[in-house]
Amino acid sequence: MKIAKYNTKENTLLVGFPSNGLVGTFSVSYLIHHLKMKQIGEIEMPDLPLTLFVEEGEILSPIRAYNKNNLFVIISDVPFDQYLAEKFALAINEFCKKNAIKKIVIVSGMETVNQKKGNPKIYGLVTHSTLDGLLYNNQISKFLNGSIFGTDAAIISVFRKTNIPALVLYAECHPFFPDPEASIIAIVTLAKILDVEIDTRDIENKIDKLRIQHRNLMKETIQTLQQQEKKTRTPQIYR
Amino acid sequence: MRNDDDFKFVTIPPMINSLFDDIEHRILSPLSCLREFDNQWVLEFDLPLVNKKDIKVTFDEDTINVEAKLNEKYSEKQIGDVTKFEYFKKSLSLPEKIDNKKTTAQFQKGRLVIKIPKKVIGHQVKIT
Repeated sequence: MKIAKYNTKENTLLVGFPSNGLVGTFSVSYLIHHLKMKQIGEIEMPDLPLTLFVEEGEILSPIRAYNKNNLFVIISDVPFDQYLAEKFALAINEFCKKNAIKKIVIVSGMETVNQKKGNPKIYGLVTHSTLDGLLYNNQISKFLNGSIFGTDAAIISVFRKTNIPALVLYAECHPFFPDPEASIIAIVTLAKILDVEIDTRDIENKIDKLRIQHRNLMKETIQTLQQQEKKTRTPQIYR
Repeated sequence: MRNDDDFKFVTIPPMINSLFDDIEHRILSPLSCLREFDNQWVLEFDLPLVNKKDIKVTFDEDTINVEAKLNEKYSEKQIGDVTKFEYFKKSLSLPEKIDNKKTTAQFQKGRLVIKIPKKVIGHQVKIT
């Protein structure tokens, strides 16, 4: 296991939350663990249903912030409906202002109905052209056409109006099941972007167990996403 | 060399087990999804830790049952106690009757995909 020193000079914020395939949840959790990041706080959202979790005696909030050197992370263990997604996006913006964040990277999953054989692909969407080079240098295909809804859309909407550029990484994944395999592609890409070295063997060895362990979170996430989709997508009858 | 137990996701599990695992009989409820296409229904079950030979699929006219034995016991702490699960099991009602002769199933990467062709019932409308 090798972890190279993190040497990116700008303050960068990495954001993960439950979405398609739980790609953001798996990949961001894995980075927090492997970079041995320290929890620096919690993100409070007044309208979020009160949920706390006790892990070996430690009380954890569902939305937490971590830090190591110039890298900051916000991770949510709960999916957001449309209203909470907007609140979450605004809370991230506040966090960025307080911590002099220069760019943010969001990790999410992209539903692929017909999964082809071979490795899933990863696509990038940037809010500011200043991040185009990041895509090019790391050989990330640009997300050119498609619709976005939910928490990703809420964050993009907020940050495209600010001077903090955002990059959303979309890994192709199964739309309805936890997909740790897709998360590995996201982890490898993140490692390149953040200039860190990450060994993915731990997650590779646990793919099956992670799929079982996260069934309930996946189900809860799908239900939340489908509620958002109904509100934002063109009704089927008009297609 | 790292210990396998070193890595653990710190994520908050939902408070309610909405999948209703059967703790007494050590049966897990798998995730499943049903998608409608023009000519067929595609039903998928997520069955990690399962070998193809240990899956049993049965159905009557409008219900499908999937049972599978795990290739190793899966331990999970639920309601304070550790349960060692050994099986997946789920029954689903389908939106229409199944044509069992044309139904096919494939198992790849721990995902069972069952393709059920739609029955064409009705009369042709003459266009004048």
